[in-house]
Order: sequence, then structure tokens, then C-alpha cells
Amino acid sequence: MFALYKKELQFYLNNPIGYIILGLFGVFANFLFVKDVFVVGSASMKAFFDILPWLTMIVVPALAMRSFAEEKRTNTLEVLLSLPISETQIVLAKFLAYLTLFALGLALTFVLPVSLYILSGQVGARISLIEVFIGYLGELMLASLAIALSMLFSVKTSNQVVALLSSILVLFFLIVLSTDFVAGFLPLMIQQVLSYLSPITQLESFIKGLLDLRSVYYFISFTAVCLFLTIIDLERRK
Amino acid sequence: MIILQSLFKSFATKQVLRGVDLQIKKGEIVGFLGVNGAGKTTTMRHILGLLRPTEGTVTVDNLDPIAQRMQVVEKIGYLPENNPLPLEMKPQEYLEFIADVKKVDRSVLPQLIQDVAITDVLQKPIEQLSRGYKQRVGLAAALIGEPEILILDEPTSGLDPIEQDRIKDLIKRISKEKLVIFSTHILSEVQDIASRVVIIHDGTIRYDGPKPKGTVDKLFKDIITGKQTEKPAKPTKSKPAKKTVTKPKKTTKK
Repeated sequence: MFALYKKELQFYLNNPIGYIILGLFGVFANFLFVKDVFVVGSASMKAFFDILPWLTMIVVPALAMRSFAEEKRTNTLEVLLSLPISETQIVLAKFLAYLTLFALGLALTFVLPVSLYILSGQVGARISLIEVFIGYLGELMLASLAIALSMLFSVKTSNQVVALLSSILVLFFLIVLSTDFVAGFLPLMIQQVLSYLSPITQLESFIKGLLDLRSVYYFISFTAVCLFLTIIDLERRK
Repeated sequence: MIILQSLFKSFATKQVLRGVDLQIKKGEIVGFLGVNGAGKTTTMRHILGLLRPTEGTVTVDNLDPIAQRMQVVEKIGYLPENNPLPLEMKPQEYLEFIADVKKVDRSVLPQLIQDVAITDVLQKPIEQLSRGYKQRVGLAAALIGEPEILILDEPTSGLDPIEQDRIKDLIKRISKEKLVIFSTHILSEVQDIASRVVIIHDGTIRYDGPKPKGTVDKLFKDIITGKQTEKPAKPTKSKPAKKTVTKPKKTTKK
């Protein structure tokens, strides 16, 4: 399993595509936060963590779209399935590789909390690093969900673009479920259920610096279900 | 030993295999002949557990390739049709990856690389290699771990005559004491390499036996054109209703 994990990781690290995707993520995430931070005038990373899901919605499918779609198109999946590696190992190796890549992209934004920590210290209102750490943990859990979902769409098609667009579309709907826009025209009960299903609602406690086990359970179970369905699809023989 | 019993396979409404019966023992080199779409690749994919039979059974050393895929694929080296390779990788990296997945010590690679003669191109991206070199990389990958069974799907397809000879020599050298199945529609290959000939047409085995006394060429063409309805060495147990019968050519009276 480690061999496949390494191979997937190396594809992006030996390829300009990986650097372009992660670089763009780093630039946009930093820029979108920095452009407003001095206007808002509060020493908090909240605005940053609010922006990230929208970037994740695009970056993660761009990374994971080729996971199975490309293997199917080039028929290298047949080679992989003729090797002594189980379907579960294949899915987990790819999942962990994409999660590692996203974590690398996220690491490009570490300069923000460090700068804010130093600056806020100078005015006597230092930000809590534990809060920031929990915020990043939440973003990683959101990325896990997005990766698993993108891999599920990728295993269903041999066209990377189809996998990319369908993943973005579903992630977009999941994100907007929690917005006031949806709340405006739905009955309260349905709105509450849909809002619970939105990863943004679950992310709120992380952004506040709270480790809510219900939200942890939500992210882990959503990710596990998507990975399980991907494994089932791979195991299914025509 | 590979045993295929009354193997039927349908994709939607198209029936691809119609009762294939085949037993292949260790030490045999089987030339699997058939025109495009005859059912060669479908049969081979069943042996690897890549396809589920619509009807019938497949066993590899008494193992079910679907339920016991991991144990089965450990015994098999496979070169798929068109030899799909990750083009962005270098042969060295690719072979190391395959060795790691097969849990084979990387120390076996230098000898293997020498055997298939790819030393010159080890550090070039696979996408820059000629078709012949790519085929040799694919063969090397199939050979890692010294599998007991080799399944080679059209190993010389698309190669120039010199490269075809190289691959044929290579197959001859590596196939000692192994069970080898290689599919092809190049008749001379079967004549040169195989110890047993299996001809499949329209999803049924039309000939299964030793190399004929004449040329394989004539036997093959006679079977395909329907001049000869050669019986398989071992009669198949296919369902009579689904069995294809080769019609003799119509003769017109002058």
C-alpha cells in the first residue's frame, strides 16, 4: 500500500501540475485573507477559515479527479488489479496521498497565523494557537470529505473533466445548504436537517476552536461512506 | 493448473463467450489464436478475476479468481493488451513500484533488466520509449517475482518484425517450466513458440490440440472461413442452444 501511496504522491511532486494547483491554493488563500485583515481590524483567523471551504471545493477535486478516471482511461487500472494489492488498499493509498498533498498546500498558509500571532502580541491581544490548530484540523477533515467524494465520482467515470465538474457541483450544494439563501425558502424543519448535513455547519465549531465530537463523527462517517462506496465500485466485476 | 468449465460471458445483449472449456497444465505454452473480438482477451480476464463469468467456473490451482483474487494474482504475471503503462514514470521507477507491490526484493531487478535488455532506457520517461522498449518494460513487470503463470495478451502487437523476433525469443527463454498463455493473431508466432494451439472463434473453442502437421496458418484460415469444423481435443460441455455451429460454405452448381 505504501508503494502506491508513494507513486501517487510522486506523480504530483514530479509534475508541474501538482505545484500549480497547490501554489494557486496557497496564493489565493493568503491573498483573500490578507486583503481584508487590516480592514476588519480584529486578530482572528475566522475570516481565513471561512474562505477555505470555497477554495477546497475547487482544489480537492482538481487533485483527486484523476485518481481512477485516468487509470480507467489509460487502462492502467487493469494492471493495478492484476497485482497483489486489495481494492481497499488501492483506495486508501490514493486517499492518503491526496490528503498529504492537501496538507502540504495548507502548510503554505502557516505564515498567516505566525504573522498574526506576532502582530497581535504587540498590541496585547495575542491569538490562541490552540484555536488556530483546531481550525486547521477542521479544514483537514473537510478536505478528507471532499477527497473521498471526488474519488467516488472519479471511479464512476473514465473522464477526468466529468469527475471534476460533478465533484465541484455536489460540494457546492453541500456548502450552500447551510447558507441563509437556502434557509429563506425552505420549511424550518427541512432547513435544519439540510443545514446539519452541510460540512460548513459542522466546521463552525472547529473554527471557534471547539473540538465537537459530533462534528468529528460527521466528517469521519461521511468520508468513510464515500471511501466504502468507492471500494465497492472497484470490487464490482462486470 | 487453470480450468475453465462451460464459461459463458455476456455484456448486455452481446454474448462474447459461449461455453469455453479449457484445461491448461504447468509446462504448457499455449498459443491462443483468434480474430479480433473472438473472445481471447475476455477469456484471459476471467483467469485473472477481472471479469465475473455469466455462467460456468474458472479455477487457478483450485482457487477462485474472484473470491481469492489476491492469492490468484500472486501466481500470475500479466501483460495486458496494448500494454498500458504510466507514461510519466521511468522504467526504473515503474519496475521498483511493481516489485514493491508484489513484495519482491528490488535486488532481482538488475538481472531482469539485463534479461529484457532495457538498461539503456532505464532513466528515460516511458512516454519517450519506442513501442518495442515499452513492450519489454511491460514484460519485465510481468516477470517480477517469477510467477508460475504468464498471461500475455498480444505481446507482439504493433511491433516491427525485428522487435517481434526479440519478444518471441524472450518469451521462449522465460517460459521454461511455466504455464504460458499468449494470445495473438500472428500465426507464425504460434508456430514458433507454442507447444499447444487453441483457436477461439465466436466465443467457442474450435481447435485445441498440438501444433498441426501443416501450418497453423492453413488450419486457422480453414476454421475461420468455415472450411474445416475442427473439433476441440476435449469436447466442450456448452449448452446446445447457445453453441455456435460453423456453417460450411455454400457451393453453387454451375
